[in-house]
Amino acid sequence: MAQQDPTGENTFRVKVGPAENPVTLVVHTDAGDLKPWDLDSRLRSVKGRHPRLEGPEMVTGRAKYTYDVRLPGMLWAKMVRAPIPAGKIVRIDTAKAERLQGVKAVWTTDAKLVRFAGQDIAAVAAVSQEIAEDAARLVDVQYEEAPFVTDLEEAMAPTAPLVFAEEQAPAPPNAPRKGNVTGPLPPAPTAPARGGSRGDVEKGFAEADAVHEATYRVRVHTHSVLETHGIVAYWEGDRLTVYTSTQGVFMVRAGLAEAFGLPRNKVRVITEHMGGGFGSKLSPSAVGSAFAIAACRLAQMTGAPVKLMLDRREEQLCTGNAPGALMTVRLGAKADGALTAIDYRAYGEGGIGPSSRTGGPAGNIYPQCPNVKLEEYDVFTNAGPACALRAPGHPQGAFGFECAMDELAHRLGMDPLEFRRKNEAHPFRKVYYDVGAKAIGWERRNKIPGEVPGPRKRGIGMANGNWYVMAREAVAVEVQVHRDGSVELFHGAQDLGTGIRTALAVIAAEELGLRPADITAYVGDTRFPPGGTSGGSTTTNSSGPAARLAAHEARMRIAALAAPLLNANPDELEFADGKIFVAANPGRQVSFREAAQKMPGEVIACLADRKRQFETFRQDLAATQFAEVEVDVETGVIRVLKMVGVNNCGTPINLLTAENQLIGAQIQGASWALFEHRTLDRNVGTMVNPNLEAYKILGPADMFEAVPIFTEGANAGNNTSATGMAEPVFVPTLAAIANAVYNATGIRIRQLPMTPDRVLAALAEARKGGKP
Amino acid sequence: MPKRPPKNPRTSFSVSRRTFLKTVGVGAAATGLVALAPRPAEAAILGPDAVPLALNVNGATHTVTVEPRVTLLRALRNHLNLTGAKEVCERGACGGCTVLFDGEPICSCLMLAVDAVGHEITTVEGLGTPEKLSPIQAAFVEHDALQCGFCTPGFVVASTALLKNNPHPSLDEIKAGLAGNLCRCGTYSRIFAAVHKAAQQRG
Repeated sequence: MAQQDPTGENTFRVKVGPAENPVTLVVHTDAGDLKPWDLDSRLRSVKGRHPRLEGPEMVTGRAKYTYDVRLPGMLWAKMVRAPIPAGKIVRIDTAKAERLQGVKAVWTTDAKLVRFAGQDIAAVAAVSQEIAEDAARLVDVQYEEAPFVTDLEEAMAPTAPLVFAEEQAPAPPNAPRKGNVTGPLPPAPTAPARGGSRGDVEKGFAEADAVHEATYRVRVHTHSVLETHGIVAYWEGDRLTVYTSTQGVFMVRAGLAEAFGLPRNKVRVITEHMGGGFGSKLSPSAVGSAFAIAACRLAQMTGAPVKLMLDRREEQLCTGNAPGALMTVRLGAKADGALTAIDYRAYGEGGIGPSSRTGGPAGNIYPQCPNVKLEEYDVFTNAGPACALRAPGHPQGAFGFECAMDELAHRLGMDPLEFRRKNEAHPFRKVYYDVGAKAIGWERRNKIPGEVPGPRKRGIGMANGNWYVMAREAVAVEVQVHRDGSVELFHGAQDLGTGIRTALAVIAAEELGLRPADITAYVGDTRFPPGGTSGGSTTTNSSGPAARLAAHEARMRIAALAAPLLNANPDELEFADGKIFVAANPGRQVSFREAAQKMPGEVIACLADRKRQFETFRQDLAATQFAEVEVDVETGVIRVLKMVGVNNCGTPINLLTAENQLIGAQIQGASWALFEHRTLDRNVGTMVNPNLEAYKILGPADMFEAVPIFTEGANAGNNTSATGMAEPVFVPTLAAIANAVYNATGIRIRQLPMTPDRVLAALAEARKGGKP
Repeated sequence: MPKRPPKNPRTSFSVSRRTFLKTVGVGAAATGLVALAPRPAEAAILGPDAVPLALNVNGATHTVTVEPRVTLLRALRNHLNLTGAKEVCERGACGGCTVLFDGEPICSCLMLAVDAVGHEITTVEGLGTPEKLSPIQAAFVEHDALQCGFCTPGFVVASTALLKNNPHPSLDEIKAGLAGNLCRCGTYSRIFAAVHKAAQQRG
C-alpha cells in the first residue's frame, strides 16, 4: 500500500474531491504517517453522529469553567477602566481603595495615554466580589481629555483628531499613512497563490458588457462570548498556575512566561471548559486589556489565588470585535456572465487595532476572473481594538462583494445562481449549487424581485464564501491503554465548544475498534502533549491526525499481544466492536480487554507527533448559503424563515457536532445581518449598548429553520482528510440574507444591520423613484 | 421564559427599595429596581454587614452568611459552590442564571439572596446528575443541544419549567417559552428538538 522511497517519504494514491466527481491524488507524506482516509475508506466511528462525551457534565451544571473556579483563600479582582475616549492619565489615586477593609492589593497601568473608553487603568484585589467592586469605584483617576473621533467616515477626514501619533500607530512599516488612514495595505499573508490582485482591471472593465458599482457598509460586531474573558491565577514559589478562558493554553503560557520572565516550564495553563471565543480569546489577556498580567501580578503581590473575570460591559469594550467596513465594489462581466474585472476598495473600522482587511472573498472566491484589484485600508478610531472573528474580515468582505455579484447578475438579466455557476471553478461549490438549490426550493424565488403582492414579502437569495486550509504541525497526542482495557487520551489543546475532546475520542475509537465513549479524553492543559491555538479552523485537522497516529501505535501494540492468542500474524487482525479478530475468519476473535491483559506492565503509553501537512485536493475552502426571508414592508421587520448552508470539510469526524457548528454560523451571521451594531456615542465617545439587551443578538424567538448540509468528499492534506469548517460557512451568511431581502422586496439594502428603520428608509427612497 | 423575580416576596426578610438603598447605599445597583413599595412595618432592616440566611436549595437547607446586597445568584455560586447558574449579562437579559423559584423560572441575578429565604430554590444541579440525567438533560445530550455549554444550564432549567407548565408545547410555544435565554454558539434549533423529544417521552 505505502511505498517507502529513499528520502523517507511515503507515497499514497487516494480518492478525493467530491464524491459526485472524485479524482485520484498522489500524496507524499512523512515517513511513518498513515494512508489518509479517503472516499473508499470504510469507517465505523468517524463520519458518525456522536453526542459529545462531556455532555452529561455540561447539562447538569457540573462542567467547571474558569468562571466557576474557586480556590481556598481566593481573592476577587475587579478592573477600573477609562471612561473617556482620549486623553492623558494625569494621576491614579488608589489610597481610598486601599484603605477599604478587605482590599489586599491594587495594580495600576503604566500607560500614560488613553485611546479608547474602556482601556485598563487599575485593578483591585479583595476578599469578596462585592468589596472588589466597591474598591474599584474608589479608585480616583484624573484625566486631561483630548479631542477624539469614533466615527469611521469622520476619522478619514484630514482634519480629524489623530488616534495615534505618527510613530506609535500599529501599522505595517511599509504601508502609506495619512492621518488615521493606513494603506493600501500590503497583500494579506493568507492569500493563496491563485488569489489576490492580478491582471489589469481597467482592461477588464473595457471588455465588460455590464458594470456595477456600489458602496456597502458593515458595522462593528462584538463577539459577545457568554463566558467573559477571565483568569484565576496562583503562585507556588516561582511557579505560576492559571485557569483561563482561552483559545490557546500554550499561547497564554508563552505570553505569561515572557511577561514574568519565567521559563515556560514554570507556567501551567488550564482550560478544561470554556464558554465561547470566536477569535476574541487569542491573546494571553485580550487585545484591549492586560487583565491576565494584572491578575497574576495581584496574585504575586498578595500571595493568594486571584480571580479576575471581566463583567459584560468590559467584555463589550476591550476584548476585541469584528471590524466594521466601508467597501466600494466595482464589477464587470461579459453578456454571458463571465467576470472580467473585480475592483475592491475597503476601509476597515478596527478602532485602535490594525489589520481590518476584508478583501479575502473578492480576491479568492472566483480565481478565474483575470483582473482583480484589491485596495485595503485601516482607519483608526478612538474605539476598542478589533481582533479575529470567525474568518477575520471575510463575512464583511463577502457581504460587500457577494451583494455586488447579485446586483451585477440582476443588471445582466441573469439568475444569480446561474451567474455564479458561470464563474465557478471550485469542484465542491459546483455540487453545492445543486444540493442547496434543491433544499431551499430555489425555483420558488421571485422571478421579478418584489413581485409578491401584499405587505409581507418573501424572497430567496444565496451567496458564496471562502476560507483556506491551514494546519498547525507542532502537535502531539498521547493514548494510554491500561491493563484492564480502558483507554485514556491526552491532548493539550482546548475545547471551545466545537467538540474536539469528542472528535479525538472518535478518531482513537476508529483505530482501536472501540466506541468513543470507551475513551476518556482530557484536553486543555499545558501539561498534556502540545496542541495548537484554536483559530483559523485548524484544531480538528491539526490535532486529529496526531490522535490517529497515537491510537494506531496503540493498536499495533495490542495487535502484537492478540496475535499469539489467535494464532495469527498481527497484520492479519481487524479491530471492531471491542473485539480483535482475524480478518479472513472473523470467528477467531478475542476481546480488546483480553488482549490488553496480556501486556507486560500496567499500561501501554503511545505518544505521537503530528506529521507534516501534505498535498490537498484543494487549498481553498468553499461554502454556500441560501436564505429565505419574509419582509414586512409596513413595519420594516425582516424575519429569516430558512437557511440552507452547504459545506464540505473533507472527512467530517463527528457529523453531529459539525452540523451544530454550521447551524451556529447561520445564527451568528443572521444576528449580524439583522441586529448587531456596536453603537458609539460620537459626542462623548463611549459605547451606548455595552450589554446584551441593547446590543441585541439573535434569540430563540427569532429562530428560523436551519438546514446544515455537508456534502460527501475528502481533501487529503493529513491522514484524516479533514479540513476546517467553522469559518467558511459563516462567511456567506450576511450576503445571502441581504440578497434574499432584495429578492423579496426589489429593494437593495447596502448597509447592515438591516434594522426596521433602514428597511423603511430604503422603501421610502424607492417610492420616491430612487429605486436602486 | 425566566421571569423577573416577584416584586413582593412573602418573607419576613422582605427588603423594599427604600431599605435596600439604606443597606447598600445609593448606587448603580439600585437602577434596575422599579417597584417603590412602602416598607411593611414589621420588616427588618438588615446589613450592611453579612447576615446569616437559611436558603432552601435543591431540597436541603443551607445557611449562608452574606451581605444583604448579595444576589441569589452570587450566594449560590460563591457561597454554596453551585456554579451551574452563570452570571452572563448581569441584568436579566440572557437567562444564563435561571433557577426555579417555587417551581417558576427566574433570573437569579435579579433577586437578592435575602428575598429567597422561605422559598424553594432549584438549580440545574438539582434536576439531575451526570449519572442520572433528567429526561430533558438526556435529550440535550442526545441532540447535541449545546456547544460551549455556558448557556446550557439556563436553557435546561427554563425548558424544565416550560414542560411543567405546558407538557406538549408547539414549536412556537417552545420558542416563546425559551425567549428569555440566549445562546451565542447558535444551538437553538437543537434545543427546540431536545425539548420536543423530552415532551414526547412524557407521553
